[in-house]
Amino acid sequence: MALLEVQNLKQHFTTKKGFMGEKTVIKAVDGVSLSIEEGKTLGVVGESGCGKSSLGRSILRLVEPTEGSVKFNGQEIVGMSPRGMKELRKEMQIVFQDPYASLNPRNTVRKILEAPLLIHGTGNKKERQERIESLAGKIGLRKEQLNNYPHEFSGGQRQRIGIARALMLNPKLIIADEPVSALDVSVQSQVLNLMLDLQQERNLSYMFISHDLSVVQHVSDKVAVMYLGKVVEIADVKKVYKDPLHPYTRALLSALPIPDPVRVRNRIILQGDLPSPANPPPGCPFHTRCPMATKECAEIVPPLEEKTTDHFAACIHT
Amino acid sequence: MLLEVNDLSLSLKRAGKYSKILDGISFQVAQGETLGIVGESGCGKSMTALSLMQLLPDKARLGGKVDLQGEQITSFSKRKLEKIRGNQMSMIFQDPLTSLNPLHTVGTQVEESLILHTKKSKQERRDRVLHLLRAVGLPRAEELIDEYPHQLSGGMRQRVMIAIAMACEPQLLICDEPTTALDVTVQAQILELMNDIKRQTKMGIIMITHDMGVVAEVCDRVIVMYAGKIVEEAPVIELFQNPKHPYTQGLLDSIPKLGERKKKLGSIPGTVPTPGNMPAGCRFADRCIHAMDICRSTLPPMINIQENHQTACWLYDEKEAKNDGSARSTELETALHN
Ligand SMILES: Nc1ncnc2c1ncn2[C@@H]1O[C@H](COP(=O)(O)OP(=O)(O)OP(=O)(O)O)[C@@H](O)[C@H]1O
Ligand SMILES: Nc1ncnc2c1ncn2[C@@H]1O[C@H](COP(=O)(O)OP(=O)(O)O)[C@@H](O)[C@H]1O
Ligand code: SF4
Ligand code: SF4
Ligand SMILES: [Mg+2]
Ligand SMILES: [Mg+2]
Repeated sequence: MALLEVQNLKQHFTTKKGFMGEKTVIKAVDGVSLSIEEGKTLGVVGESGCGKSSLGRSILRLVEPTEGSVKFNGQEIVGMSPRGMKELRKEMQIVFQDPYASLNPRNTVRKILEAPLLIHGTGNKKERQERIESLAGKIGLRKEQLNNYPHEFSGGQRQRIGIARALMLNPKLIIADEPVSALDVSVQSQVLNLMLDLQQERNLSYMFISHDLSVVQHVSDKVAVMYLGKVVEIADVKKVYKDPLHPYTRALLSALPIPDPVRVRNRIILQGDLPSPANPPPGCPFHTRCPMATKECAEIVPPLEEKTTDHFAACIHT
Repeated sequence: MLLEVNDLSLSLKRAGKYSKILDGISFQVAQGETLGIVGESGCGKSMTALSLMQLLPDKARLGGKVDLQGEQITSFSKRKLEKIRGNQMSMIFQDPLTSLNPLHTVGTQVEESLILHTKKSKQERRDRVLHLLRAVGLPRAEELIDEYPHQLSGGMRQRVMIAIAMACEPQLLICDEPTTALDVTVQAQILELMNDIKRQTKMGIIMITHDMGVVAEVCDRVIVMYAGKIVEEAPVIELFQNPKHPYTQGLLDSIPKLGERKKKLGSIPGTVPTPGNMPAGCRFADRCIHAMDICRSTLPPMINIQENHQTACWLYDEKEAKNDGSARSTELETALHN
């Protein structure tokens, strides 16, 4: 049994637009199914606005999903009571993109790390301090630095503090939403190394959300590619990167600038821009930009199907 | 030489006192050449670009010499500068939304520099604007000319910015992270457009980016900046295959590469020193695994590795290399073979 099992999850936002206040529905997540095994990483990639963050948030019920099922360790959490949810929150934590905004600037790092333990009434004072100091060591902070405030740290250090906070309650699953996107590459690599070390040591599962294809490839076991609220391809990381089946995945991979000036490039240039999620095209959501599109593509919504063993794609022509 | 920058320095006032943001920046750009400027955030890439354009904050102190086509533009009056900005040299900024005027139509904004710098008639200008919009790959130019920036997507806005910058066929185009705010498939479209422009014109381009992938795609030659100084300069293939400065090496080792999974990435410990707190010697010394005594006391000079390839690092100074003991020379060996 998978640690996390998501079935047909939907997250629709209703917004009022214009002076007349016409309502529009944005289907940020539109029928996503996926699973994450214990100790493994599922990478979620896609361009901005495709629904990655909304997916992460609705799995944790930070926003209430519109429809669908999320099972953690076999237990359904959509519709679960607040008390049950509080218990489960210990097991599932989130790390955000912005290490500046996500830490309370008025608290010391010691206080920030202690907060989750206090909320859940974990351990006595001495045990809490021991746990804080041991995790601080893990993320490369000296004991005396625990009494400093977030603004006294660099971006990379702050992101590591964010990770330590997520780990305080010994979770099994961490949803990391663009955890390294705000960081420079040399610092990004420190944080990625830390996340991989911790995973090995604690058998953690990650849902690693990022728009950066090389970072996702580096950390993931499985990868889900999203386009306009839908998963269009999902498979083992090697399959997705070596033998992508969906035309969007192929275009995305070919668009990635490769840091090697002598490599020959075979680029698929997509026409046009991402359609608005408030007004997605009918049929296959990708058909307005797909180089392989035919007439049927505008009519049929392609289901996510198993094309080869454990390799799923949503396209009627592959 | 199209552009010659000599010993450029810049001090800005922060918290009541001046601190040096750029120091001893020298480089050249030839006609038809694309020079990349890379480095991590805060190293001074944008400030270098703005110094060339002389679009600096109040009370900025600019030193050194900038020659554009043999004319020393650092001694130009405001009026003379306005004549060359948008005409001989123009710039594309990172964020196309904030650099376009929300109150003016696309057409008006592209036309602006044509009014300023040419004697074209109204009809001629309209034709030129339409031509430019089509040239940068924008669809339905006739309608677009009367639309406002907020009606366009991020990629389209960046195309409009490129059209504005290209309006007077400048000799030098400075691009500050032109694709950083864009999605990867849109970035690919813009990079393709930049490469087309490169092929079709003899323009010199300065491409500022923190993305080594973008550098590899579009640049001919690269300078690497660290804490307000140039630490390495080389042709693009040489830089990727034979990086010499420990900072350049660290930067390249930190990038996750396709095909290598869950391998430990290289990283650079510590953080960049802030302006006003620069160490006396090499600015990278605090983070450098090869640092020697001399690094902490004396600024390393630019040392020639081979033709067109230079780096500011004591490891490549012959006298220093000879002077140091056996322990250090093994360190040097590893560094040289990295
Ligand atoms: N609370 C909300 N109310 C209305 N619309 C929302 C809300 N949250 C997200 N959306 C919309 O849902 C869509 C998906 O948003 P989301 O932030 O999840 O995408 P993303 O892929 O993570 O994007 P990015 O990479 O830019 O962060 C977007 O169109 C966004 O504007
Ligand atoms: N208006 C300003 N006043 C004072 N310092 C500034 C100003 N703008 C930028 N700086 C400083 O100049 C340095 C270089 O900035 P910048 O050129 O923007 O870097 P980059 O573009 O490489 O990120 C940074 O330390 C930054 O904080
Ligand atoms: S279904 Fe048609 S439009 Fe959609 S990805 Fe496949 S070929 Fe392209
Ligand atoms: S000069 Fe010294 S400290 Fe600076 S990069 Fe070279 S070896 Fe390192
Ligand atoms: Mg997001
Ligand atoms: Mg900048």
